[in-house]
Amino acid sequence: MSVDIYKINPEFRDIMPQEIIDLEENATWAGESVEKRGINDLTDKKEILEEHSLCAGCPEAAALRYILAALPLPEETIIVNSTGCTSLMFPHIALHTVHSMFGNQNAVASGIKRTLDWRFPDKTKDVVVLAGDGATIDIGLDYTLQSFFRQEKITTICFDNEVYANTGGQESGSTPKGQVFKMAPKGKVFDKVPMWELAVTSGVAYSVKLTASAPKKVAKVLRESILIAREIGPTYIHLYTPCILEIGLAANEGLWEMKEQDKDRFDDFKYVSDEAADYLKKCKKEGLL
Amino acid sequence: MANLGPAHYSPYPVAFYDDLLTPPEGKALLLTEIVDEEVAMREIARVMLTSENATIFPGPQVLYAWNEEAKKKATLIKEMSEVLNAKMIPMYDYRPKYPKIDAEVEINPNHPNLTIWHNEIKACIFVGVHCHYANVALKMIRSETDCYTAAICGLSGHEDAMATIRDQHTKEMARFIEIAKEVKKELGK
Amino acid sequence: MSIKNMTKEKNWSGQKLVSTDYLLFEAPREKHFMTGSEVLKEAIKRCTVDASVSYPITPQSEAAHLIGELWAEGYVGLYFRGENEFGVMSEVQGCAMAGARTVTTTSGPGTLRAMENFPTWSGTRIPCQLILMARGINSPLTIQPDNLEVSFLLETGCMIWYAENVQELFDMSIAAFTVAEKPDVHVPIITAVDGFFVSHTREAVMLPADDIALEPYDPYAAPLPPIDSEMPPGRFLRDPFVMKSNYISYATHASWQWEVRSAVERSKPYARHYLNGLVHTTGEENAELVFVACGTAVHQAKEGQRELAKLGIKSKVVKLRTIRPFPHAELLEATKNAKYIFVPEFNVVGWLDKEVRTSLYGKSDAKIVGRPRVAGGMSMPAEAILKEVFENTNLKGA
Repeated sequence: MSVDIYKINPEFRDIMPQEIIDLEENATWAGESVEKRGINDLTDKKEILEEHSLCAGCPEAAALRYILAALPLPEETIIVNSTGCTSLMFPHIALHTVHSMFGNQNAVASGIKRTLDWRFPDKTKDVVVLAGDGATIDIGLDYTLQSFFRQEKITTICFDNEVYANTGGQESGSTPKGQVFKMAPKGKVFDKVPMWELAVTSGVAYSVKLTASAPKKVAKVLRESILIAREIGPTYIHLYTPCILEIGLAANEGLWEMKEQDKDRFDDFKYVSDEAADYLKKCKKEGLL
Repeated sequence: MANLGPAHYSPYPVAFYDDLLTPPEGKALLLTEIVDEEVAMREIARVMLTSENATIFPGPQVLYAWNEEAKKKATLIKEMSEVLNAKMIPMYDYRPKYPKIDAEVEINPNHPNLTIWHNEIKACIFVGVHCHYANVALKMIRSETDCYTAAICGLSGHEDAMATIRDQHTKEMARFIEIAKEVKKELGK
Repeated sequence: MSIKNMTKEKNWSGQKLVSTDYLLFEAPREKHFMTGSEVLKEAIKRCTVDASVSYPITPQSEAAHLIGELWAEGYVGLYFRGENEFGVMSEVQGCAMAGARTVTTTSGPGTLRAMENFPTWSGTRIPCQLILMARGINSPLTIQPDNLEVSFLLETGCMIWYAENVQELFDMSIAAFTVAEKPDVHVPIITAVDGFFVSHTREAVMLPADDIALEPYDPYAAPLPPIDSEMPPGRFLRDPFVMKSNYISYATHASWQWEVRSAVERSKPYARHYLNGLVHTTGEENAELVFVACGTAVHQAKEGQRELAKLGIKSKVVKLRTIRPFPHAELLEATKNAKYIFVPEFNVVGWLDKEVRTSLYGKSDAKIVGRPRVAGGMSMPAEAILKEVFENTNLKGA
């Protein structure tokens, strides 16, 4: 039934706006397509993200577009969000999504995932958490890690912009040591919290740190992490999406900042448990990857 | 009183201020009175047929072909709009839309008054809008505009509308259309 | 155990599905002897509950264990222990949003730790049930009967019902799901009892057989789509920012909050039916001396009323069964002949006293006395009630 919720009754087609007609006619839903969805769709298909209100050139917006284009089963995917810049985009995502409070995203997602597995035992329902570094690592750390301990079958994505951007540029646990931000007027005194490592220690089957500089890489990691979460256990993606506003870059400089950091704070980190690695091999064989 | 607005600066609810609740099963609510369903149906039809720019606002539960009932209701609502000489403006989702809505052709629950003002709508029907969003919108419409609101609800009805009929499925909607045809004939419209 | 075992006639555990009216009013009952925690297990067993999330805190822990046993026995669909009460209430929110009939329990400090969730629950219109076994809050720490935490819940937009005893806890917690899930209500319900006095006290109770249970929750007969990708609109955020700087509709927020309060009001006719009225009265109908109370304070007030009767003083006890919605009309009617109204409470702040005063302001000439107030585990003997009556009225025993 899930793709049907986008189908317009013919009696109303003439009064519906083009964006809604496009969602039915030209978005890539997995249910009816034999072709794999992917970021190549961004050039000529209807995107799941409608016009939103982030700053021009914000790497978060680009990263979310890659992620939505790469979801393996968008019409059966729930995304749970938390307060922050990302939540300005959430009303405009053409999926069922949740913004509940600040920091409780992995707890809400746990309840949703378990309930959907209970209510729809024969269906695949993917639950993804997407939140900023403040939500994931500071205020919500307990709930993030506890969902890993409990082996909740959800994918957690942290959009790390290394700052509380939505509230005006305050230091977060993810800010690099020494950086001057509001609430750290003399510079941050402790190191960036290595969340991708904490995730591994806490029991995830898959943990990757990267920047959003390479769309195809983001798409691949996203797809792998969702497939593993379905079958094996929790997965974690730590994605650098710099706040160009707070670090003083122009709208066209976000990409270069990410490329720089590919070699520095966001150099490659990828953990795949043995079980998850075997499963990925199997997925590849079956053409799921 | 759940009478015509503009009522107040704040979107005060009639449940809280006037002890007016959803009608009991089998009944309808017309302004402050609990009445028989047919009485309310006739009045809704009369108001729609005699008001300027009468408009039906279909919501997601009927706009999309997600089940058989929705498909049948779509056909009925289209017929309803023809019988009532009413326009249709969709409330196709509930998001606060960025950067702004096109008030001429769409209605959004977060500022339904814009669409009503822009199109000078004096009577409207909510149908297929989820109850929470219908109620949020209906309070604002009563607060901000002089539009007569009617709610054709598949569940328990809406006391913040000026007229509400409840448990409206395909059979009941077909009945409403028949009654509307009679009223239309009586009015010579 | 699978939801696939459910049919039109039976739920997944094989219990026959019946109406709430049948379960509460018509099914034959047998006498049992059990505590509040045990009776809650019996109630949940008969409610076709999809989900429960738990966390230990005295005095509700045993009730939470017993719901876990129901899961192990195949009556409750899913169950787990959360990380703390803030997490638990968020997990409950996730379950309920995704379409589950959901129940949880908490007490005292756990309530306050979870606090941010409760107005979020009502704002997003989930019909989950929280069983609150009240115990007061820190500091200093208490685990004893005291219901101070209820005062913090009054303006969360959740319904609050208060059960006096073990029997009422059974009947109320069943009715609570039904009323909370009505499409025009559809807000969370907090069913409160006084910890220990009810949770741990064994009483005679009348229960229907356990091979019948409530019809399942229908998440599509709800004021908002569930978060399950099965109902339009496909583009749906629960719940959007409506007041952010680049999208301004402050009135939406105001209307939304009014709508939640309206939903609580809409529960009144349903609650009147399933609870046999929002207030219950005992004693002399036309007495000038009236006690207004909820929970076990009612039991003590009745004790006082009997002692006063022995002295030839007529009095009446008005038990408030719903606190949210507040039964204004019923209270006014029940106190219309009152010259003196006493509000005995198990907390030091007198939250019910404030509620009664607010409700009757400008409508009653009675002298309202917010006493006795006991707390922290103190008992409320009838003598303490009588003493307040003699000190604050001109009533004299024969």
